[in-house]
Amino acid sequence: MSSVAPMEVRAEESSASSPPVNRMTIALLSLVGVFISTYLLLHKLGVVGTLVCGTGSCDTVQASPWAVFLGVPVPAWGVAGYGLLLGVSLAGLRPGLWGNRRLGLVLVVLGAGAFGFSAYLTGIEAFVIRAWCRWCVASAVIATLIFISTLFELIRPGRR
Amino acid sequence: MAAQKSPGAGSSLRTFYIVLAVVAVGGLAALGYAVLGGGGEAATEPVELEGVASARQLYELAKPEVLGDPSTPVKIVEFGDFQCPGCRSFAMQIKPVLKERFVDTGKAHFVYYDFPLMEIHPHAFLAARAARCAADQGRYWDYHDLVFARQSMWSYSRTAPIGTFTEYAKELGLDSGAFESCLKSDAHADVVTANRRLGEELRIAATPTLIVNNRRVDALSLNAIVEAIEASLREGDA
Repeated sequence: MSSVAPMEVRAEESSASSPPVNRMTIALLSLVGVFISTYLLLHKLGVVGTLVCGTGSCDTVQASPWAVFLGVPVPAWGVAGYGLLLGVSLAGLRPGLWGNRRLGLVLVVLGAGAFGFSAYLTGIEAFVIRAWCRWCVASAVIATLIFISTLFELIRPGRR
Repeated sequence: MAAQKSPGAGSSLRTFYIVLAVVAVGGLAALGYAVLGGGGEAATEPVELEGVASARQLYELAKPEVLGDPSTPVKIVEFGDFQCPGCRSFAMQIKPVLKERFVDTGKAHFVYYDFPLMEIHPHAFLAARAARCAADQGRYWDYHDLVFARQSMWSYSRTAPIGTFTEYAKELGLDSGAFESCLKSDAHADVVTANRRLGEELRIAATPTLIVNNRRVDALSLNAIVEAIEASLREGDA
């Protein structure tokens, strides 16, 4: 249940006069993240035979025990996480919600989670598996950029 | 009090949605390509051998890889499978000893025939082809050793580990483009198939199977192999 008074909510929601660019950025990056995660998930499920990897050891990383987290393939976590970020950021671009602080905080929390999880996976690649998957690195870069973009939710003026 | 929308707000949102739609369409197209046709056409299992009607023809098509001088008196033949853990043990622990004691000293040569057990090792055929793609660039034995050394890294892959095998080729300094083209084709599939069928003709039932001058030996017993080689050398002297 919300403890915020209706008048206060209306004031929050209407305080911005233009769509937040950082949410557009988050939405675009999340969409790319959804596609990368889906690609890796399809490979994990055996639908895509060979990963287009260029340099790197995608098969090695994907076949390792760390490609599954809590019984669920890591790419499936990616699809869910990026999908959630995409949905929340698009919701935050609806004209009445441009200045909504709670949506902004949800984005910050999701962004931090994505960044933390990516950092963990990148550490596993670097120090445990000692092999790199280009797509995983690309996902980590996207998660980092998303997290940076979410931080603008905290510093944008006129939010209260 | 509600703030006024800035004049460009609608336009920037429209531009954003257009870009989002373009990214979505591009992403879906890329995924569709990956699912329907992006995987290459690598031969991953035995092929039909056209025109091979007799054991003689099969023997001619089958082609082992040889380590050492073929004119040496003792011939050590292995029928092996790159995905077989026993073959890995042989390749990592026993073969180097044999090489140092008998091959490098000009007493014996080592002959390797592929015998991929596709029923239990789905990537064995591809691995055998990969090694032969490396042989095209003169590095069969280096690749053979690397694939065995890293067996646990690719063996459990749910899909054909073409990327991993290509990465190994790069690691050895091979022309990775040529290697990948070779692997993503049916190159050497006939030879690997012929090697396997030759093994079947010889009633090979398991890997590694080792034959020292026509005498089968327990491939995982260094003592038994050394005794067989030394016996063959003595027979040659007699």
